[in-house]
Amino acid sequence: MTRVKITLGSAEAFAQLEEKDAPKATKWLKEMLPIERQAMHSMENGREVYVVLDASDRIEEENQTIYQTVGDLIVYYKPAIFVKPEWPRHIRDFLVIGFIYERDSAIRGMSGPLATNLVGKITEGIDALAREAPRMRREGFGKMRVSLALMNGSA
Amino acid sequence: MRKLLFELGGTRAVAEMHDDVVPKTCDAVWNVLPVEGMAIHANWSSREIMLHLHGENILRLPPEGPVRRGTTAPGDIVYFWRSPQMSRGKQLAYSSQFQRELSELAVFYGDPAGGGLAADDPARSGRDSNLQVATLFATIIDIPKEFAQKCEEVRHNGLQRLVVRRLERSA
Repeated sequence: MTRVKITLGSAEAFAQLEEKDAPKATKWLKEMLPIERQAMHSMENGREVYVVLDASDRIEEENQTIYQTVGDLIVYYKPAIFVKPEWPRHIRDFLVIGFIYERDSAIRGMSGPLATNLVGKITEGIDALAREAPRMRREGFGKMRVSLALMNGSA
Repeated sequence: MRKLLFELGGTRAVAEMHDDVVPKTCDAVWNVLPVEGMAIHANWSSREIMLHLHGENILRLPPEGPVRRGTTAPGDIVYFWRSPQMSRGKQLAYSSQFQRELSELAVFYGDPAGGGLAADDPARSGRDSNLQVATLFATIIDIPKEFAQKCEEVRHNGLQRLVVRRLERSA
């Protein structure tokens, strides 16, 4: 049972990885950790914060849903145009990891719902993220860090 | 044809009003100008910044002009009103006024404009529900690159002061 710590600005939260239902994706994610990247707010999906990942391997579809909800920790390929206004034309999407911090959100592709790998559920600190993300939206975005959490909750 | 001047972070853009198509909306917006405030980036409708109207500048206008479905384009300036019924979620970080009702000028500055959840959420599209009004009332014909770049920066760096004023003949 693996927990990860999510740090966004001054907010901390913890998520339980969905190792039973997403064994490949969570294994891949654990090998990637810690991740610390510039955070971005969704401009197309509602209350979602994400970071772009460097990943040469294609991530398989696993434990997918188009019905994302508050607290979901998700990994998926986001259409490039939602990330950067200009990008190398041979790139169509970016691998991202993100979370949903409020209702009224749903991940969208260019023409409708987009399935995402559900890799974890945030079990502590969602309200802190729900305050910090809008603050950063007003004051500027900093980095987001995802790391393995120790049993006592630290990372 | 009346024109509007948008000033954002030292950059400017000029929009032409659609007086011939939506005259009442154009008059109403014209009459509250100049307005200024801190523009914020969209969450649901892609490359768009918004200027929320407050206090006596809040506009509550009826729908006007042709119905638009999924036809938002870069350069569009839209008057948007959202019913208090449309406010969902806890919105912990927002003011009580914002949580109830929203009246704003929306500036679509790049592709995709109006894409994302806003495009296919029934409650957010069209006027059938009477929960919102979205009237295209002006268009920036050629979006200056510097202006679009400043708009994109709002997304990453936070609020930026936006001034909307009448562009008089002598300006």
